[in-house]
Amino acid sequence: MASQESEGRILILATESCAYPGADSVGQAHSSYPANTYILRVRAPVMFPERFYLDCFAKGISGIIIMSCGEECPWEGAYKALADRIDSVYRMMRERDIDIRRLRLTAICTVCNRAFLKEVNQMNEIVSELGPPGQLQTGTVQAVDSQ
Amino acid sequence: MTSERTIRCDALVVGGGIAGLQAALDLADQDFSVVIVERDLSIGGKMIRLSKVFPTLDCSSCITTPKMASAAHHDNITILTWCELRALESANGAVTAQVTAMPRFVDEEKCIGCRKCEYACPVLVPDPEQGGFSATRAIRIPFSNAIPQVAALDPDNCMLCGRCARACPTGAVDYLQQPREITINAGTAILATGFEMTGPEGKPQYGNGTIPNVITALQMERILAPHGPYNRVLRPMDGMEPDSIAFVQCAGSRDLSMGVPYCSRFCCMYAIKQAMLLSGALPLADIVIYYMDIRAFGKGYEQFYQTAKAMGIQFVKGKVARLQAQDGGAVAVHYEAQEGDGVSVDSHDLVVLSMGVVPHWSPAGICEVSTADDHFIRSVQPSLSPVRTDLEGVFVAGAASGPKDIVDSIAEAGAAAMEASNYLTTVSRQQG
Amino acid sequence: MTASKHQRSDRVGVYICYCGGNISDHVDVEKVRADVEKIPGVAVARTNMFMCSDPGQELIIEDLRQGRIDRVVVASCAPSLHETTFRGAITRAGANPYIYEHANIREHVSWVLHGDRATAKAEKLVAAAVGKARLLEPLQPIRVEARRHVTVIGGGIAGLKAARVLADRGLEVVLIEKSPFLGGHVARLDRVAPHGEKAADLVAELARSVLEDEAITVLTRSQLVGFDGYVGNYDLRVRAVSDGDGEGQGTYVPFRGVSGGTPPELTIETGAIIMATGFRSYRPRRGEYGHGDHAEVVTLPEFIRRFSMAESADGTLVLDGRIIRSIAMIHCVGSRQIPGIHEEDAEGRLNEYCSRVCCSAVLHAACRIRERFPGTRVHDLYRDIRTYGRDQEELYQRASGAGVVFYRFSPEEPPRVTAAQEGAAGQDFPLRVTVRDGLTFGEEVEMGVDLVVLATGMEAAQVGDLVAMMKLPVGSDRFLQEVHPKLAPVESSVAGVFLAGTAQAPMTIGEACNGAAAAAVKAASLLGRGYLELDPFVAEVDPDLCQGTGDCVRACLAEGALEMVEENGHARARVVAARCLGCGACVAVCPTGAIDLKGWSLKQYEAMVDMIVADLAEST
Repeated sequence: MASQESEGRILILATESCAYPGADSVGQAHSSYPANTYILRVRAPVMFPERFYLDCFAKGISGIIIMSCGEECPWEGAYKALADRIDSVYRMMRERDIDIRRLRLTAICTVCNRAFLKEVNQMNEIVSELGPPGQLQTGTVQAVDSQ
Repeated sequence: MTSERTIRCDALVVGGGIAGLQAALDLADQDFSVVIVERDLSIGGKMIRLSKVFPTLDCSSCITTPKMASAAHHDNITILTWCELRALESANGAVTAQVTAMPRFVDEEKCIGCRKCEYACPVLVPDPEQGGFSATRAIRIPFSNAIPQVAALDPDNCMLCGRCARACPTGAVDYLQQPREITINAGTAILATGFEMTGPEGKPQYGNGTIPNVITALQMERILAPHGPYNRVLRPMDGMEPDSIAFVQCAGSRDLSMGVPYCSRFCCMYAIKQAMLLSGALPLADIVIYYMDIRAFGKGYEQFYQTAKAMGIQFVKGKVARLQAQDGGAVAVHYEAQEGDGVSVDSHDLVVLSMGVVPHWSPAGICEVSTADDHFIRSVQPSLSPVRTDLEGVFVAGAASGPKDIVDSIAEAGAAAMEASNYLTTVSRQQG
Repeated sequence: MTASKHQRSDRVGVYICYCGGNISDHVDVEKVRADVEKIPGVAVARTNMFMCSDPGQELIIEDLRQGRIDRVVVASCAPSLHETTFRGAITRAGANPYIYEHANIREHVSWVLHGDRATAKAEKLVAAAVGKARLLEPLQPIRVEARRHVTVIGGGIAGLKAARVLADRGLEVVLIEKSPFLGGHVARLDRVAPHGEKAADLVAELARSVLEDEAITVLTRSQLVGFDGYVGNYDLRVRAVSDGDGEGQGTYVPFRGVSGGTPPELTIETGAIIMATGFRSYRPRRGEYGHGDHAEVVTLPEFIRRFSMAESADGTLVLDGRIIRSIAMIHCVGSRQIPGIHEEDAEGRLNEYCSRVCCSAVLHAACRIRERFPGTRVHDLYRDIRTYGRDQEELYQRASGAGVVFYRFSPEEPPRVTAAQEGAAGQDFPLRVTVRDGLTFGEEVEMGVDLVVLATGMEAAQVGDLVAMMKLPVGSDRFLQEVHPKLAPVESSVAGVFLAGTAQAPMTIGEACNGAAAAAVKAASLLGRGYLELDPFVAEVDPDLCQGTGDCVRACLAEGALEMVEENGHARARVVAARCLGCGACVAVCPTGAIDLKGWSLKQYEAMVDMIVADLAEST
């Protein structure tokens, strides 16, 4: 049985070489997972600035999972840069009183069906527990950024 | 015979199944011009008719259609469907083929594939593309993702009422269409003529095809296909949802009495795949596979087999001796279990036969290429160059040289394209 | 916010696929169509039973030709299956293929959800795709000169075959082999199953023709140590293997002499690479079927080598001076391992796959023993006999006819190999094999034997250094992984790197040669014209916004892909398109949003998120 589904929307940034086909593989296995998940195909999540994540929360996204290739990343150095960026996003989330559990960086391979389902279900539980993110204004975020 | 036509190209590919398509694409991508001659109304071969494919469970049509479409739209590829190869010669670095384009009774140039003829036709016939389980019309587009999307009239069933011709918006229906002769002048040829499956006829112990609810694996493919005849799994005799389904392996292979002493290579895997798909469609059904050896030899196949076992599909080692119709449509399976009680009888609602695999085409009288004792085209260098035949300039790919699964057929098609390219390169060097 | 300099399209065409029920059984496709049609910017929304079919593609082509649309969204299966199909259709309509965005409503929706939620999610994903599509720009592929040169790594049968056919096709080839010899594992065989060709003949013929070909440079005792560049233009560094005997060219090795052979290090400029790195034979654990405990337990490769020097004593096999009256041959050693039953190796791994060739190899060896030495009994202990290939079943029949005795064991209860006990029956044999035989209704059978031969399987070659350096994907079986077993069976996910032979999975010689030639034909297609067209997904600088901070250059992960230049007296970033990997690391760090990734821009992602959070009804 699918777990209790929250109303909050979960954004999944899935790398085109690992996690996105991994999500396809979950589909091929016909495993079900919560419907409030929106998977966007990305080349490398390293392209997203801190502001992107904060904007997403401000716009009403309840949780974000970055499904990267982890150490398998086809771009050398990209994973390290991504991990550093996420640390800095966490810092900014704390400053803004956004629960950092709403953002998760993980590695999903093309056949990691179980890991994929675990991540999605966990995030679903977290956003059901936390409810929607506070109504931050995008403008506030930018103001803080430009300091 | 009318309207002689001559086509010149670098390479002729005989057969537009997955092996032929891959070989044609690999040649055309090197800027060689290619003609594909296909005997059927559509390219795509066996693969386009399958439900899903092992071991990835991709939908078969999703893998085949891109290759069909790329071949159909490739600037360097010409496709001739509904064409019979009459003669193929190779001499002095040149291949000459005679081909007869069979009449479709629909003008290929005029038909726009709108199916108005099909909707107008009053004649219902069993649909060969759905295992005969559902009906189609005497004039029709062969199946939904066929290439080309051109209607064809089946003269054995047409009653010449004229409704299709009146319905056709482009005047494409031509009841008097004649066969046409085509000559193809090429530099090399690849035989990718594929396989056929034996029927249950000629197997009296399995009922010669007369026992209801004993079907072939290809019929089961249609039942399982997303666009199959029933849109769900039902047994054909009475539309009952089967509670117990049996697969009989080696029903026409590894069997000298059927003239097929060799292993048909992919039946174990498709039976396991069908069993998995069935257990998804009918979670409560008992599914049993009667087998001699499970031959899960390819990449990821053994893991697929173990997954099936873990899903609860039963594997019974024993050769099925006899099938027998029972009351209420059930089928009695008499077998000798090698683990357990010896001679046993079990009853199943539906029985699927994994039949033997035989060549789809014989070169006899058409082409001087040799076949082996198994009637498949002989490979003269089975280790270093399995695609070579004993006829210079003529190569073989896929199941034309023995049963082969899709993965192996595709790899071999690439190899045949490579060797055919090199033959063209060598001949042009010598002649230039 | 900076206003986008790009105009949003108001003529997006949306095409939603039924996938013959795969999607429409769970998603109300017509409702999606009706709702999507109301999204701003959508000009046309249509459905089809199979969008990938010709009639489906025709819908797109017709709308483009009629000028009804200028951006395309198809909602169907995973983009890996049909993105190129639809880009191709757009091209055929005379439009730019990059005005396309894909919505995955099968693998990500209909196959994981049912009912209303499936329909609602499909609508969101289509809406997000529309949001992105409105911002798409036509792009031009990057044309790059390509070297008509291929490097083959591995000098076994697959590597030799690949080199041979590529040279025949007119490409230049370098073949790199770590050992001093060409021929790999095949050179260690005697006669080859099922037809009995001499392995020596196969290798010698092929290797000689490779060595004699002027278009092929063979570097033995060499290994790849550097990998740089991109498809069509790879720069490789090759170094002589230093194994004591071959310290590189010109090195004086005490009491051996000066090393000849390959130069110590050289650079190869090549267009594509074929990985023909082969396999290694499984090495049984100590004690596995008595291996290592009893000298009379050998692997099949060891046996084949000894058997080539076999002698006869009145029709009984004599090996190394020992009369072999009875042999047990055990299948599936190191293959078809099952979690919970088999013991994991030191790294905690199991070989769950079938090694494909061992059944025929064992039967071939068994036939040769029985036919030459009728005085030697052969016991064959198997799980399933997998004589799947042409003329292999005949080999099985031949073995039965030659008096090979078969026993079928289950993995839960494998045969036991023990030293013969004194006083027991058959004690004159050094070893005793006990098996519960599935062919005789589970009877426990004991046999005394002089030799046990273990049919050891194939394991992935140890190429961790190459895998790491070239970033090649590896499967859970540890063999190199192809992109897709049917769509791209010899392609790796690294552009211009192909897989040949047993580097990919266990194969017979014929299958390895087919794989090698198939890899070669891909390389020939790629490089044949001397140029190739690359994806245009590279970074792009907006010079009006660039402040010349150089942050992007510092963040760039590809050597030389971004540089600072002087423009009208100002420092500005510039992208070297052919070197740009399109990862977007630069995008995140630009303080002014001046750099973005073509085709995958940050602005497009922002638009997608906007559509996901928007209430569809509200947005109309």
